[in-house]
Formats: sequence, structure tokens, C-alpha cells
Amino acid sequence: MAVGLALGLLVWSARGLAQVPSVPAPEPDAEGEPVNDSDGYTPPADGQGAPPPFSINGYIDVGFAKAQGNGTSFAPGDQSVPADYGVDTFAPAVNARGDVASTDSGGRFVNGFLPRQVGIGGRPSFLLNTLDVDLKYAPSSAPLMVFSRVQFLPRFTGSGDDTRVYVEQAFGRLVPFDSQELALSAGKFDSVFGIEYLDNQANIRTGVTPSLVARYTTGQSVGAKLFYRIQIAPLWSAVSLNVAGTNSGNFVEALQPPDASLSGEPVGSGRLGYELNAPVVQVKLGASGMTGPRNDQGDQSARQKAFGLDARVAAFGVYLNAEYVHVNEGQGGPKTTSIGNFPFSSAFSVRGGYVQLAYALPVAVGPLHKVTVYGRYDRRHAWFDGFTPITVDRMTAGLRVDLWELLILKAEYLDNRELSGAPTVANNVFTSSLVYSW
Amino acid sequence: MKLGRGSFGAIGAIGLPAVLLSALAAAPAAAATPDTRGWLGEELPLPLAVRTPQDLAVKAAAEKQYLIFNLLAGGKLAWDAGDFATAATKWEALLRVHQLDPELERTIRPLARDARGRAGGQPAAAASAGEPAAGALASGTAPGPVVPAAAAALPTPIVVVSGTISGGGAQGPGGAVVWLKRTSGETPRPAPAHGKVITQRNKAFVPRVLVVPVGSKVVFRNEDTIFHNIFSLTKPNEFDTGLYKQGASYTQTFKHPGVVQLLCNIHASMLGFVYVVDSPYYAQADGAGAFTIKGVPPGEYEVEAWHENASQPTVQHLTVGAGGARGVSLRIGGDKRPPQFLPDKSGKPRQSHLGY
Repeated sequence: MAVGLALGLLVWSARGLAQVPSVPAPEPDAEGEPVNDSDGYTPPADGQGAPPPFSINGYIDVGFAKAQGNGTSFAPGDQSVPADYGVDTFAPAVNARGDVASTDSGGRFVNGFLPRQVGIGGRPSFLLNTLDVDLKYAPSSAPLMVFSRVQFLPRFTGSGDDTRVYVEQAFGRLVPFDSQELALSAGKFDSVFGIEYLDNQANIRTGVTPSLVARYTTGQSVGAKLFYRIQIAPLWSAVSLNVAGTNSGNFVEALQPPDASLSGEPVGSGRLGYELNAPVVQVKLGASGMTGPRNDQGDQSARQKAFGLDARVAAFGVYLNAEYVHVNEGQGGPKTTSIGNFPFSSAFSVRGGYVQLAYALPVAVGPLHKVTVYGRYDRRHAWFDGFTPITVDRMTAGLRVDLWELLILKAEYLDNRELSGAPTVANNVFTSSLVYSW
Repeated sequence: MKLGRGSFGAIGAIGLPAVLLSALAAAPAAAATPDTRGWLGEELPLPLAVRTPQDLAVKAAAEKQYLIFNLLAGGKLAWDAGDFATAATKWEALLRVHQLDPELERTIRPLARDARGRAGGQPAAAASAGEPAAGALASGTAPGPVVPAAAAALPTPIVVVSGTISGGGAQGPGGAVVWLKRTSGETPRPAPAHGKVITQRNKAFVPRVLVVPVGSKVVFRNEDTIFHNIFSLTKPNEFDTGLYKQGASYTQTFKHPGVVQLLCNIHASMLGFVYVVDSPYYAQADGAGAFTIKGVPPGEYEVEAWHENASQPTVQHLTVGAGGARGVSLRIGGDKRPPQFLPDKSGKPRQSHLGY
């Protein structure tokens, strides 16, 4: 027993020894610094090892979607909208661009007020939504950046829209002063109205589809813009101003000719923002406005106006986004669309908004990077002069999974409801998206 | 006196373990002050009377344990004194002891191999004078006195590990962090570095990549005429400086090892890194990829290289001999592209071409 005990002690001590054959850390040098030291590394500004001024990024967005009915919200015999609009009350979106499953109006006319379609009708279909390529040039020798975003949009619809290459953005940005947060941009760029344009791409948007009011706020136009921000350090806060003068307003591309000013008068838009960037919570508030000639009118007296309010709160992985928009288009003169000529353009107004709540759970298990659950409530009230107002709402619920840092899987269900002024249509949508970024 | 059952218990259960414990407890002190004083080995041979066959059996058993103790502890003392050849010799002798406890064997064998490697791979000329060969003891021969290791005590050799890193993509390997982790024992705790500074200059972190030992303080200093903020979402080293103006600074202590991503909540294109190492053996590659790590004791190591453009760190085994290791060649990946979007404080990605 004693021998065993002694042997046990030996083994015990030897176990300790297994961790003991330690060696002393290197002695500090004469100044008390560790013998191994580094002052860090900064790549050279130019030459070998310097970061290249050019960068190419982008994404590909593919999906699977199924819309109820024939993929539109047109109801047979519905006369709730004027002839020069012929609008689908929901235009149920199936992808990040807001493209709808179908614009098949069952023999009725449509005149371009609708977003573009992917032509799948009510058939469950795989989609190749967008191939996006972003080019950025930012030389180290000048406070200049040139950016372009080109999108390849395959649309094998068999009718209507065709496959095309779309220059969504192309602009230069100059930061003229080192001491001021001031940036001047010129070219074709994102809207400055509201906040949804910030998340407008498939590889950055939390969910799959845009909100019901995105069509009024997330368009790109050609013009010039100015951004200025001032920090209020003691309050962890900042106030910013973003203003633009452009050929057309903030409506999405399907609703406006963004590359030409029909009236010759620019549309002015802007957003005044406040942000609180405290350590545990971020709050961003903004008020936006837009005024100018109607996008579809050569007559400057036909005006469009919009204002909006937005709020974002982020804390502990919870993200709350909310936006309210009010748009008014005054009655205009004759209007020519792809389907014909109309004696006048109807006055149109809409107010609506959304609230989106998302919770992102960081997960570091194998390729799993993050899991996000989200829900959004949209509501829109629209009316044409002389017509019955239409009120609709939409509830969206979805799940997003981020794999590595490059791959995003998203799936969501959109429950569309006609609350008043429009016949009920089966137009709910299930849609999903797989986005690979490079 | 005839050694009865009770006497055996008294010797075995109290005497030997107590001796072993006291001797082993003294071992660290011996490491700090190499073996200039006497120890148990000088009291040999064990004064155990042998009058009966049972006495002989007891004596043989005790002496076997005594030999094991001597070789085990003697090897440790030699190791601590930097005399790896003696340590290797003693532990190799220990491993030859007949019917050695398998657990003890498993513990000692890698240490003996390590010691032999540090000694240059050549067997020691001879065991210490007066120390019996393991085989002799196994046959029942009494051990002779053990000579203290003081005569063989040498300072721990300190060598240099140097080499070149290649890869890193189009920007090359500049800034790669290289560090060593001992696999043949504990890696010493590094001393924190002092006076480390990262400035914000022209809306960039300078330096872009800094390596510091764990526990180091890094001063962030704003040299731009605009406000900056620095934050990191890298757990468990996350922090947030708040806003600070030109000339102001903020000090952050990095307590946990690993890579820490540095971001600015105002400027969506600013990106930098602090790499926190839990080892005193580290270096950062220059623009050509060359690196030098000083003060490395010979032994077995795992060498790890990290670069911001590599999706995975490079890890490989490295034997550091008495002459150091020069010409170490490491290749890091260049497969990781710069992040397309850098997050804001809340973790939400930002498009750098928007706003300011």
C-alpha cells in the first residue's frame, strides 16, 4: 500500500511536471520593454504592397418564389383606379428590386406605373434576380472616389420586359476639406429621401422584398448632391444634412425617367438627420422632403411633393426601423405612355409607412455566422382625385441566415390584405433569396 | 530490529512520501537557485537494515522507488538548470526501469524526447557519477549517491527564430503576425508592451495592423482635424471610445488573445487590426515578409501566422534547436477579400460609397 502511495505521489508530481518544464519568458530589454516588440505595420500608400485604388465587388441574387393567383393584384372588372394609371394595388414583390411576379392584367392595360415583372405568374419558380458588379476607384493621392453599380437583370418572361443591363449608379464623390465632414457628389446616385435606400440591395437588405412605400423613396436619379455632418461629441450625437438636385424625384426607375429632366426644372430633395451613437444603443431620426415637377410631365406646373419621417433604433442585436411617407402628385396635362395618349394626368396622393423589427443572433458554429428573424408591417392609403381611396396592408415574416461572410439565405412570407376601396385578391407571396457576395 | 508490518507502514506511509513531497516541493526553488545545496540523494545508501528475506524485499522495493524518484527529480532539476543533456539522460534511464508505472512512463517519455532534442539529439556521455544504471537497480543492486546537478547547471540558451512569410495576396505578406506556442511545455506568460500607439490619420488607422502581448495597453490618438470614433465588435475584446477630437487620445487594454477588428462609426471605410498574442515569442513581418523572433529557448513549438487577407491562419510545427531556427518559411493565404461592408456599432453593414 505504501509503495502504491509513494508511486501515486510520484505520478502526481510527474503530472505537475508535465506542465512545469517551462522556460522563463524573454527578459525585458534595458528599457523594460519585452524583447519582442512591434510598432505595427502600415501598407505603403503607393507601389508594391499598397492597397489597390480599384476595387470590384458585387453579388448574385437568385431565388425561389410562389405568388398566389396569377401573380398580380388585378381584380377582374376593377375600376378603382383611373385609366392613365391602371395600377395594381399591391404589385406583390418577389425580390429585392421590388419586381412583381406578373403584370398580366388579364386583357386590361397597364401603363408603366407598375414595377417591373419577372413573368412567373402564379407558378412556383426559380429566379435569377440580379447580377451586380460594383466598381470603385479611390486613389490615395486625392480625396476622390468614383463609383459605379451595374446590374445584369435576366428576365426570361417571354413577353413584356426583357433582359437588360442597367446602370443603377455612376457618380463621383469629392471630399474637399480635411476638417469638415462634407461630401459633394455628381452623377447618378441613390436617393437622399428617407432610409430605405440604405438597404436597397439584396446583399444588404435584412429581408427579401422592399416595403410598400419603397417605390416612392428608393429611386436613383441623375444630378448633384451634398452631404454635411457635424458631430456633437459630448452628447455622442451628430446632425447631418443630405440634399440633392436631380432630373427626377425619388420614385423607382419603373416610375420615372431618371436620366432626363422632362420639364427642365430639377427636383429638390433632402433629409435632415439626427443620430445618437451611444455605446449600447443607436438612435437615428430623420425628416425628409422633396419638391419639383412631376416625373412624367413636361409642364413645370404639375408638381410633386413628398415628406417623410424615419426612425431607427438598434440595441442588443434588436433593430427597429420605421418610416412614414406622404406623397402628392398634382394633376398634370396630357400624358403619353407606352400604351397610348391620355388627355390629362390624374392627381395622386399616398401616405403610408412601415415598421420593421429584426433580431440578429450572432452564431459562430461552423459556417453559420448569424441568424436573423424579422417581421414587418406595411400600410398604405392611396387615392386618386375622384376615385375611392384604397387602403391595403401587408405583414411580412422572414428568416435570414448568414453563412461565412459571403452567403445569405433568406425566406419570407408576405400576407397582403385589401382593407378598403379595392376588391380582395389572392396575392400572398412566398419568396426566398440566396445572395452570394464577392 | 525486525521490520514488522507496522514498521513498514511507518516508513512507507509517512517517511517516503514525506521525503518525496518535501523534495519535490523544493524543486522550484532549486530551479530558481541552481542546486548548490544538499538534497536527499546525499544520504544514500538508505539505512535500511536487512535481516530477513522480507527486509530485503522491502529494501529492494524502497530502493526502486528511490531510484525512480532520483531520476525523475534529478531530471527536473537538470532541466530547470538548462542542462538538457543530463535531464535527458536521467529521464531515459528512468524509462528503462523495469516495470515502470505506465502512467509515469507516458508522462516522462515526451519530456525525455524534448530534453534530448534540446540537447542536440546526442545521448549524454554518462549518467552522473555514483548513480546506478537503471538495469543495475532493477536487479537489486543498491544505488550509489546521487551527485547534485549544480555542476551541470547552465543558463537557458536563448536563440533566434527568423524567416520569411510569403503569400498574402496582391498586397503581399507585410504586417503578418507570427507567434510561437510551446508544445513541449507551457508557453510563458508575456509581459505587456508599453507605449503602443495607433493614430487616426487621413481617415485611416496608422499602423493598420499592430501586434501586442495580452494585457497591453494601446493608446488611440486622433491626428485628424475631424472627430473620430473607434470601436470593436470583436468579442471578448469589444470596446467603444466614443467621439474624440483632434489631439485627444483613448487608452484601451487588450486582455484577451486573438484578432481584434478596429472600426470607426463615422467613417465606413476605416479598418484596422490589433492582434493580441498570449506568448512572448512574436513578431510582425515587414513588407517583404521577413520576421525575427528573439529570446526563444530551444524546444518544440507551434508557429502560427495570421494575415488579414488569409481566411485561415497558417499553423505548422517548428523545432528550435540550440542554434535557433533560421530560414523558417511560412506561406499564408491571400484568399480573403477585404470586407465589402464594414458594420456600424450596432453590427449593421454600411455601404462606404454612401454619405461621407
